[in-house]
Amino acid sequence: MKITIKYFSWVRVKIQKSHDLFELPDVITFSKLKKELIKKNSFYDEVFKDSSIKYFLNLKEIIDENIPINDGDEIALLPPVTGG
Amino acid sequence: MVIITKENFNLEDEFKKIHSKRNGAYSFFLGTVRQDINSNIDGIFLECYEDLAIRQLNKIKEDCIKKWELTDCTIIHRIGDLKISERIVLVIAAAPHRSDCIKACEYIIDALKANVALWKFKIKGKEKKPVDQKKKDIDKYLSWSQVIR
Repeated sequence: MKITIKYFSWVRVKIQKSHDLFELPDVITFSKLKKELIKKNSFYDEVFKDSSIKYFLNLKEIIDENIPINDGDEIALLPPVTGG
Repeated sequence: MVIITKENFNLEDEFKKIHSKRNGAYSFFLGTVRQDINSNIDGIFLECYEDLAIRQLNKIKEDCIKKWELTDCTIIHRIGDLKISERIVLVIAAAPHRSDCIKACEYIIDALKANVALWKFKIKGKEKKPVDQKKKDIDKYLSWSQVIR
């Protein structure tokens, strides 16, 4: 299955791209996905340790990290907002 | 009307769009790019997660219409590169009476600054540096918690 991860603000600047497409063998929880991403790139470790970052799945904030991630899902990593 | 755009907007045109005989009051907020005394910037860059931001702005609009009995409201936010003095954001609240639309207009910009998926960068030369969220903006938004539940 394929998922998209979108990056914004300093996260996008740091990873030098706006999004990534990942192929995963099966449905996975967001909690397990975080661990898999950290194995791929230490960049994610820094992001996931930052408590100010919010995670969104298909435009809804992730509250319970045991939520399953399915084929075609879009995850976004959002630093504190600064518009207006 | 909720719009996120790279294009500038015209205040008179936006007023004409929201104007109605039912309204006795309109409240406007216009945010522009300021030249900070402490940081000599050339302008700002605004980034957006557009699908989410539109959804969040529509929720703010719906909450306001319900809470303050607005007849309508306009929220326009620009994205991309903006120079000093350019327009960033326009809020217009329309209601039969002034008290409702003044409060709603203030709430909308406070909620937008604290919650909507937009990010500001300071531009100086070729460098774009993310702006940190201000605690005072969050505190100001939280002060509405007794009003909007």
